[in-house]
Amino acid sequence: MAEPLTLVVLFADIDPTVNAIDKLHEMGITDEKMDIISGIPFNQEVLGRPKLSTFIPRLAMGGAMIGLIAALFLVFGIPGLYPIRVGGQPMFPIPVFFIIAFELTMLGLMGTAFLGLFLAGRLPAYEPKMYVPEISDGKIAVVFPCPVEMQAQFEKAMLSLGAEQVRSVEAKTL
Amino acid sequence: MATTAESIAMPGASASEPEDPRDHLMLDPRPRGEMNAMVMESMHTTSKKFWGVVIFLVLTVLFALVGAWIYMIAEGMGVTGLTRPVYWGIFIVDMVFWIGISHAGTFISALLRVMKYEIRRPFTRAAELMTTFGLIQAALCIFIHLGRVWLAYWLIPYPNGRELWPNFHSPLMWDFMAITTYVIASTMYLFMPLIPDLAMARDRSTGWRKTFYRVISLGFRGTEAEWKHLKTAMNIFAFAIIPVMFSVHTVVSWDFAMSTRPGWNSTVFGPYFVIGALHSGIAAVMIVLFMIRSTMKNMKYFIRPEHFDFLGKLSLIVSMAWAYFFFNDYLVPWYGGNKFEQLLLDFHAHGPFAWVWVSMLICNIVIPWAILWNKKWRRTPWLMLVVGIVINIGMWIERFVIIPVSLTITRMPFTWRLYKPSIEIPITIGTFALFMLLYMLASRLIPLVPVWEVQEGQNAHILRKVGKVSIPSVSDVD
Repeated sequence: MAEPLTLVVLFADIDPTVNAIDKLHEMGITDEKMDIISGIPFNQEVLGRPKLSTFIPRLAMGGAMIGLIAALFLVFGIPGLYPIRVGGQPMFPIPVFFIIAFELTMLGLMGTAFLGLFLAGRLPAYEPKMYVPEISDGKIAVVFPCPVEMQAQFEKAMLSLGAEQVRSVEAKTL
Repeated sequence: MATTAESIAMPGASASEPEDPRDHLMLDPRPRGEMNAMVMESMHTTSKKFWGVVIFLVLTVLFALVGAWIYMIAEGMGVTGLTRPVYWGIFIVDMVFWIGISHAGTFISALLRVMKYEIRRPFTRAAELMTTFGLIQAALCIFIHLGRVWLAYWLIPYPNGRELWPNFHSPLMWDFMAITTYVIASTMYLFMPLIPDLAMARDRSTGWRKTFYRVISLGFRGTEAEWKHLKTAMNIFAFAIIPVMFSVHTVVSWDFAMSTRPGWNSTVFGPYFVIGALHSGIAAVMIVLFMIRSTMKNMKYFIRPEHFDFLGKLSLIVSMAWAYFFFNDYLVPWYGGNKFEQLLLDFHAHGPFAWVWVSMLICNIVIPWAILWNKKWRRTPWLMLVVGIVINIGMWIERFVIIPVSLTITRMPFTWRLYKPSIEIPITIGTFALFMLLYMLASRLIPLVPVWEVQEGQNAHILRKVGKVSIPSVSDVD
């Protein structure tokens, strides 16, 4: 049996895209096998696709905790190592801790959220990929593997649902 | 619904010219490909005049900033106008000013994103870029003010032979932490929504630009997962960076308020500084938008009178809030009757810098209030440029009054001496030139309009018929 092709179906609008996704489900293409690529974000609810989860919020909370611990070390650890008496303040001042704790907690939170974008999105990714530049021109692409012998059938179905183009693509460097 | 329709068509409304819905960017959509092409063209189009200005700015930076700074390092801080009792001069004024400028980016981008203000969409990036470049100037001013800048690493907590540890009891150390957090966070916040536009630029570029965009767009394609992760991270940032923004200028104000000096020891300094930062920041966005609109190709489509109108209204509200805080900060010491506080207030209003103090009030209150109440004037871009410049002059003066002018009056009258800046002036000019230079170069490298956000907004907007009028409606796209 021949290797399946990767078909890219391009739509100009969201409604025919959603109809095409339903049709592909009927034709045996499961959600796991297809990908929707677009120039603007669409909710999974809009597309009628299973909800995606992301670990970025959990990672960010972890980062916030690390920031908080770092603040604890800086505010309570450093005066312990090298005491400086300032203006009659206690050696380990709680109000000062809140300032440093806030800044470092937020830095940890945002730093790890940023890092999470790279980890969760597996970026940077410079290896060859399935992509067509029309996507950043506003087209919505439905990408899925298609058995060679069924290519004509899929093309016909997609064009009848308003697809602008149906073509097979190979992974290439962006 | 009928009631709503009737209320829209109230008598008087018919007298004014009906507004064309296509005046609103969100209701005047163009195909994404066309918008991409417009933005790409604006980035690629340069002229001899553009490069002439760039060369002028490079020379200004080299001579006024780098040259003067090197001279100051070689000769010592004695070449500045700093002397007893004014040890904080224009470098600190500049630092506070640039941090203020940086506030608008976060305020406009993050706060309006969280509040789902659709009008923000075309100019968030221009404002975010201002934040990052403003903070670079602020950090630079701190290093310049340090004098022995090569010892700046002493601020970093690390074990060393002389047991020199940063003192976390000091507001200056809090400042270092806050500004560092803000620089890092705002740069990341600038970069994230930029990724899809960099991918767009990658798809439309050749040569070195293609390589550049290919690398910094990180291989982004726009898959569902990539959008999901990007939106999640952007949401976290939008919420988290707002309190950081407030904290930064509050902490900057504590550099002053934590001392017992007359005029500085004020509990209202935190919010007073924050509102001042917003005042100058929003005004700076008006200036930047005018420059983008009038000097870059195709930008009149994206940056419209409605955006100046919105910023004008915002600026008017902030100006009123600033006046309120200024009055608060004035009234309490005036009422309190402390001798040195009274002397300082008198020095502000009647001393040799009285003209500066009066100019501050004119620039920050009188002129904005006189102009910004009028919708037609708010929608006149060149007038908003003028207002923006005036407010920024006023806010720079405000910091000048708070810092060197207030430092003149201490509790030891025999030390009173007027501050006369010298080398600080070219260095200040140099920081402004560097800001403009960075902005001009960035405008040719990164899309200043977030095209994907504009398209997303346009997709969510429709005109809805209510009675005899069509009113804009927006669906929640998030």
